Amino acid sequence: MKKVLFSILFLASGLLSSDLIGQCDSENYSSACIPKLATGFNFLKSYKVDGEGGAKNKIEYSYVFTKGTQYMINLCTGGQTPDGVVVDLYDSNRNKVASSKINNQNVSAVVFPCNAVGIYYIQYTFDKSTAFCAGSALGFKR
Amino acid sequence: MRILTIALSVLFLTACGSGAKQDEKAFLNSLDSAKTEGTSIDSEVISGILQSIPSPLEISVLLKESGQKYDNALLNSPDNTSKYNNNYKKALNLGIYGTDLGYTNIYEQNRDGIRYLSSIKSMADGLNIGQFFDIETIGRLATNSRNLDSLLLITTQNFNSINAYLQNQNRSNLSVLLLAGGWVEAMQITCQVAAKDKKNIDLKNTIGEQKIILENIMLLLSFYKDVDENMASLLKDFEELKSAFDKINIVYTYKESTMEIVDGVAMIKDNSTTTIQITDEDVVLIQKITDSIRNKIIS
Repeated sequence: MKKVLFSILFLASGLLSSDLIGQCDSENYSSACIPKLATGFNFLKSYKVDGEGGAKNKIEYSYVFTKGTQYMINLCTGGQTPDGVVVDLYDSNRNKVASSKINNQNVSAVVFPCNAVGIYYIQYTFDKSTAFCAGSALGFKR
Repeated sequence: MRILTIALSVLFLTACGSGAKQDEKAFLNSLDSAKTEGTSIDSEVISGILQSIPSPLEISVLLKESGQKYDNALLNSPDNTSKYNNNYKKALNLGIYGTDLGYTNIYEQNRDGIRYLSSIKSMADGLNIGQFFDIETIGRLATNSRNLDSLLLITTQNFNSINAYLQNQNRSNLSVLLLAGGWVEAMQITCQVAAKDKKNIDLKNTIGEQKIILENIMLLLSFYKDVDENMASLLKDFEELKSAFDKINIVYTYKESTMEIVDGVAMIKDNSTTTIQITDEDVVLIQKITDSIRNKIIS
C-alpha cells in the first residue's frame, strides 16, 4: 500500500515540478527591468530572454526605431547581472550597430541614439551564462 | 490514510488546473463572434511583426517636444463609442482611442484623458478584454500631473498585456486591428499638424518614415485578407495609401557605430543616417487618403 501511495506522490510531484522547477522566470525579470530604465526614458516593450537552460543560444525581437529618438535597452537577471547575457542591435541589413559587450566588457544597459529610421533586430545571446535567463526592457526618449 | 488524501488532492488539483484553463479558453473563444480562423501564418511570425510596430506615443512625444500645442479637435470624440457595435469597429477604435489617450497624457490634459479612458474601457469590455484596464487606478493617476510617468507606464503596460493576451487566445486579428487603428490615428494627427506647420521638416520626415510601418501593417492585414472581408477591405484602403508612399524614398547610409562604456552603460554613437525624400505634394496626398481611411473607421 505504501509503495502505491509513494508512487502516486512521486508521479504527482513530477507533474508539478515540470511546471515549477527549473523554469526561467523571464517575465518577472523583464518586469523588474522597467523601473530600471534611466530617468526620462518612457517604457515601450518588455522582452523575455529564456535560453532554456542553454538549449537556445539566441533570442531575437525586432522594432522600428525612429531617427532622432534615443532608445535604451537594459537587462535584468536573477543573479549577477548581466550573467553572460549579451544584447546586440542589428540594422535591417544585419550590420551590428550596438552591443552591450564592448572590448570584452559586458554591461547591462545600452543607450542608442538612433540616426537612421528602420527596422532593427534586438538580439540576445549567451556568453558563459550560468542561468541562460534574463528579462529586458526597451524605453525611448526624444 | 492521510497520505492517500494528500496524494489524491495533489492529483485532483493538477487535473483541475489544466482542465480549467481549457474551459476558460473555450469559453472566451465562444464569446468572440469575430474570431478569425484559418490564417495559415505561424502565430510567432504574427506576434513578431506586431511587436515590432512602434508605439503611437513616440509621435505624441515628438509633437510636444517640437512645440506643437495641444488640440483635442484632432482627436476622435470620446462620445462616439455607441457607433462601434461590432468587434471589427471596436478593435480599430480601441486603437484610435489608445492613441488619443496617449496624446492627452503626454500633454497632461487629464480631464480629456479620463473621458478617453472611459471610451477605452467601453471598447475593451465589448471585446472581453476590459479586465486589463484598472480604471480606478488609472483615473487616480490621471488627476495629478506629477503621476505622468506612472500613468504612461501603466497605460503602455495595459496595451502590451492586451496584445499578449489576444495572441495567446488566438485572437491576433484583433491585435492587428487595434494596432492599425492606433497607427491611423497617429498618422492623422501628424498630418493635420504638419498641414498647419508646413515648414516643420521633422514632421514631414516623420510622415515619410511611416512608409516602413505601413508596409508592416499591410503585411499583417494580408495574413487575414482571405478569411475576413473587413480586414481585406481595410487592406485595400491601405493599398491606396501605399501608392502615395511609394513616391517617397528613404535613403540609408550605413557607417560603423562608435561604442564606449560610460558608468556601466554602453553608450553608442550611431554614425549611420537616413534621408527622407518627400515633397509637400506627397504630404498633402498622404493626408487626404489618411483622412478618408480614418473617417471610415470612426464613423
